[in-house]
Amino acid sequence: MSERVNIRRVQEKCFAFILRASLALCGGVLVFLLGSIVVKGFGSLSLDFFFTPAKDFGKSGGVIYQILGSLLMVVAAAVLVLPLALGTAIFQISYNARPKIRYVLEQSLYALNAIPSITYGLFGLIFFVNVLNTGISWFVGAVILAIMILPTAILSTYQAMAAIPKTYQENAAALGLTKAQVIRRVTLPQSFHGLVTGLLIGLARAIGETAPIMFIATAFSGVTVPQSLVEPVSTLPTHILELAQQSTDPQALQNAWGASLILVGLVAGFSGLALLIRSRLSSEGRK
Amino acid sequence: MSVITLNPPSSRKYRFSGTQAYCFASAALSILIVGTILLTLLVQSGPILLTGNADIIGTKWNPSDGKFGILPMLFGSVFVMSIAVSIAFPVGLMAAVYIAETRSSKLRRVLKSTLEILAGIPSIVYGLIGVTYLNIWIADLFDLQSGRIILTAGILLGIMILPTFLTLTEDAISAVPVKYRENAKSLGLYRHEVFLSIILPKAKSGIAGAGLLALGRALGETMAVMLVIGSLDRLPSPLLNPLSSGQTITSKLGREVTESAFGSPHFSALVFMGLLLVLITIFLTIASRYLFRQKDQHV
Repeated sequence: MSERVNIRRVQEKCFAFILRASLALCGGVLVFLLGSIVVKGFGSLSLDFFFTPAKDFGKSGGVIYQILGSLLMVVAAAVLVLPLALGTAIFQISYNARPKIRYVLEQSLYALNAIPSITYGLFGLIFFVNVLNTGISWFVGAVILAIMILPTAILSTYQAMAAIPKTYQENAAALGLTKAQVIRRVTLPQSFHGLVTGLLIGLARAIGETAPIMFIATAFSGVTVPQSLVEPVSTLPTHILELAQQSTDPQALQNAWGASLILVGLVAGFSGLALLIRSRLSSEGRK
Repeated sequence: MSVITLNPPSSRKYRFSGTQAYCFASAALSILIVGTILLTLLVQSGPILLTGNADIIGTKWNPSDGKFGILPMLFGSVFVMSIAVSIAFPVGLMAAVYIAETRSSKLRRVLKSTLEILAGIPSIVYGLIGVTYLNIWIADLFDLQSGRIILTAGILLGIMILPTFLTLTEDAISAVPVKYRENAKSLGLYRHEVFLSIILPKAKSGIAGAGLLALGRALGETMAVMLVIGSLDRLPSPLLNPLSSGQTITSKLGREVTESAFGSPHFSALVFMGLLLVLITIFLTIASRYLFRQKDQHV
């Protein structure tokens, strides 16, 4: 009997050891990843790096136009996706009484979320650049990014709307408000934080994407601020891609790390803002 | 589900308000977008499917000969994904068990938020890390000329899907009610026995769902893989040699789409691979949603 217990004890010790080792491995990878981004990145950051244009195919100079290009594209994407996400979420919550349509819409959104980012680029290249003949254009890139973040934005808005206590809407309806008035006076203000959070989370994802925009919206060098809708821009992710492909050149790599740190900073900024707004607005809305 | 059933007076019942029209249009457009994407990919991959002599299911990819065999890419995608999964799943599962079973909620919160940061790192940055470090380490370790091989891509991808898999698995394990654990422990079971005979069966479908979702991400990942895989359009020889260069569907698309003329068989073959990828990932996502729903019913 005592022997049996001992075996189980040993097994438990092994189990505990494996658990700790796995966690330590994950922790090690985590520290390594964040550490290398921060350390390598800070090594090449300076005020000039932020505010000067790239020179010598990115080997020297800074990334001002890349930062502006990235921001321009994701902000445009957010502006494009806002009305669509809002409308679809309200439709789901207030007008869609048929389970079949609900099912189709939900599955479509999950499918949209599942589509690999590179195939968005492929779709954009076929549909916009070639069939609609727009040429390489930052605006097409923004449209594609908007499609990419659509599911996130709709889901976040929908969840915020679904969380509104039903009595709110029933009371409003009992006071004689029409459905459209209920939506405008109750549903929208009470779920505003969901829309904003969804958009910001979408932005955080969109700004880091390379694959969807590299065929259709960007050029590597010689690009400044676009003057029209159908010009290419330069973005941080595609800039990093070009530099990373010259990985034998230490100067290019150095600048790639600097650009990466800025990119990660922007992603973290958008995500942080999303969390802040979620906690702020949702607690205010309930009072 | 909160459709308001209290209707306004019947005179207004059939008036189509502006808000309503706007919402219907939005929803229709959302569905239309998904349809358009799938249809566009399908139509564009038509030409290559209709030409009989392109050897789509072949091992030779040579646009100048008109040979577009997609097997090397398909195999590369599956191979890289398998390496990634065999690294990420065991490590992720074990770490998730530790995090879920620890009674320190503070540690749990810290770990979860760091994982979310990691999941938010853009894939191009992972690619840069692969190019700068992993590449060179692997080359040194196996004494190779270049570290741009399938193994490097697999390891990098494993690191990339680890945060997603870990968080979702942890959620699934945490969702098992505490009373099961307490009962099992009071019966004198050791921790590993509690895990193997109680937690694992209970959290099974949630963990499987997390796994499928991570698989989908691994298959669709482009930038990091493209930078470290070496872009060689041949099956590795011997077939299961992870130390040879390779190509995945995504890295192929990333490298070649701009080189092929729109409307050519070459382009069409690339689009066909993209369509395959989309269908596989959509299938994986739907399957994982099904499993997550199972989890909700059981627990």
